[in-house]
Amino acid sequence: MSWIVIAPLLVVLGTAVLTLALGQRPQMQRAASVAGAVGYVVAVSSAAWTFVLAPAAPGAAAYQVGDWPAPFGITLVLDGLSAFMLTIAAGVGLASILFSVQYVTPENQRVYYHPLFHMLLVGVTGAFLTADLFNLFVWFEVMLIVSYVFVAFYGTDHATAASFRYLVMNVFGSALMLVAIGGLYATTGTLNMADMAQRLADPAAYGVDLAPAVGLSALLLAVFALKAGLVPFQFWVPAAYTAAPPPITAMFAGVTKKVGMYAIVRLYFTVFAGAPVSVDLLGIAGVSPLAFLAPVLAAMGAASIVVGGFGAVGQDRLEGVFAYSSVGQVGFIAIPIAVAAAADPTGTLRGVAIAAALVFALHHALAKGLLFLSAAAVENATGTDNLRDLGGLAGRLPLLAGAVFVGLLSLIGLPPLTGFFGKFLAFDAAVRGLASGSGALSAVALVALLLGAVLTILYATRVWVGGFWGSETPAVEVTTAEPGQILVLVALAAAVVLVGVGFDPVYRFAETAANAAIDTEAYVDVVGLGGGGDA
Amino acid sequence: MSVALAVTVGGLFAVGTFLLLRRDLVRVVVGVAVVSQATFVYLIAMGGVDEGTHDLVPVLETHGGEVPVVADPVVQALVLTAIVISFGTTALALVLSYRAYEENETMDVTEWIE
Repeated sequence: MSWIVIAPLLVVLGTAVLTLALGQRPQMQRAASVAGAVGYVVAVSSAAWTFVLAPAAPGAAAYQVGDWPAPFGITLVLDGLSAFMLTIAAGVGLASILFSVQYVTPENQRVYYHPLFHMLLVGVTGAFLTADLFNLFVWFEVMLIVSYVFVAFYGTDHATAASFRYLVMNVFGSALMLVAIGGLYATTGTLNMADMAQRLADPAAYGVDLAPAVGLSALLLAVFALKAGLVPFQFWVPAAYTAAPPPITAMFAGVTKKVGMYAIVRLYFTVFAGAPVSVDLLGIAGVSPLAFLAPVLAAMGAASIVVGGFGAVGQDRLEGVFAYSSVGQVGFIAIPIAVAAAADPTGTLRGVAIAAALVFALHHALAKGLLFLSAAAVENATGTDNLRDLGGLAGRLPLLAGAVFVGLLSLIGLPPLTGFFGKFLAFDAAVRGLASGSGALSAVALVALLLGAVLTILYATRVWVGGFWGSETPAVEVTTAEPGQILVLVALAAAVVLVGVGFDPVYRFAETAANAAIDTEAYVDVVGLGGGGDA
Repeated sequence: MSVALAVTVGGLFAVGTFLLLRRDLVRVVVGVAVVSQATFVYLIAMGGVDEGTHDLVPVLETHGGEVPVVADPVVQALVLTAIVISFGTTALALVLSYRAYEENETMDVTEWIE
């Protein structure tokens, strides 16, 4: 049965090859691409159901590629956390490809659009599944190389410049990641994440020197923060997001950004959490690398919320508002993770806080995906997405406006939409952190969350009042929308409502995922270091 | 040996960073390539260079008696992968810089039209 773990990867890889082969037959290519995305959803949900959600599910499963035993071979692991992230990727991926087929012009779709899209999913899926540090680097690169091409896709001067900057930044980031991985390999003697966790937790038995591991983990944090677009590594985000085709921007905001956050959670909580270090650096004393993660990530998250919030308020184009808003919303994911890092490892707060971050990640993927696609639909219908030229869209295109309204309300956090639970749980985690002793950090987190909530209301109102209310401008008066595009938007808006109304099972899934993230022992068991720990 | 490697890695990183900060696009691309090379040398250094034994290099057992000084084969495999990725990225960066030249008719980043 363990082959189901690798099924999502095979489905997208197969679709990528198939769509490439069908490059000369555009209609068949589009059909194959949509079918591949549906197949991906089926593969992911059957894997998640078999191993994580079914009543008698084992909770996690591993696939040893080529039957090489861990830690020597490459291991793919599907546990609660991977399953949760893959579910997000599958949902956003399907919506985005359905929208692409109707939005991107047929000439632009020909030959390369669909293969590239599925290669993006290949990179994302691999990054979520792998249990090998170097493989994580490789999957990151697969994902990033496709992203560079997508940012440059339209070939305008703006797109080329954005893509070039994005590429140089990320190649430098990847070089740092290699340095960190090489250093960790030299320190611990292994690349398998389960094996590494075991060795770091018991350094004396394996002769591991922990001091360099702490520094190298900090280097990895910088790399992942760059991929996630956290302040101070956010400056590539607005240019790259506005340059890429809008359905791809929905993927960037909803999925590839989350890969950075996933890597932080996976490596810090599953792998590094057990390492017993007592270093006193810059006045931060602690018992594990998490002690360093907490204040740094809290500061980054708070700064992201401020920079993203104020940036979004000052933007005139819809895409610009949502791109800056993405920077701020990633801060909302980072802060619960920081609270979790500061929490007592034996208490329940750590799991609760990670679950809050995951729920927020899900909310952001749905709502921001919806909003980026809506911005594209607005631009497609009116020829502009500049708020100065828009107005009265609510009367002209009520369905489109309704979908945007749901997205904005979810962003603000109105019950019973998904965003309410995301925000509620983030605040809940910060307040619980305040009660359980990590006072200063949780206080900063709480203030940042409050400020972020206010700023979100501000720019969401501005978008609504500026673009959708009021009298119709000349650009709006003659618009008609594509029914197919509206259908995708309405479906996504319905998903935002449904996930919020039927929130209980979603939360249980997130809780399972959070528990999988902090349960290092279970992870080590699943990987099954049958090949012997000593390399 | 390790001092020589450390100096090489440090020197490459310094040169690469210097080139990355230039205004000329081609130099930036070369800087990207040099920084990547620096990490490859670093990775090899991290694997350690050991006196070879038949245990370490089983292939050489049937290849005469002497086993040379060798680096960790796992690291070599990793570096090979990283080199392939770096080639791809550098090629893409060159294409992008050519495209940027076509659009702006200059290789100077500060003269780009925004």
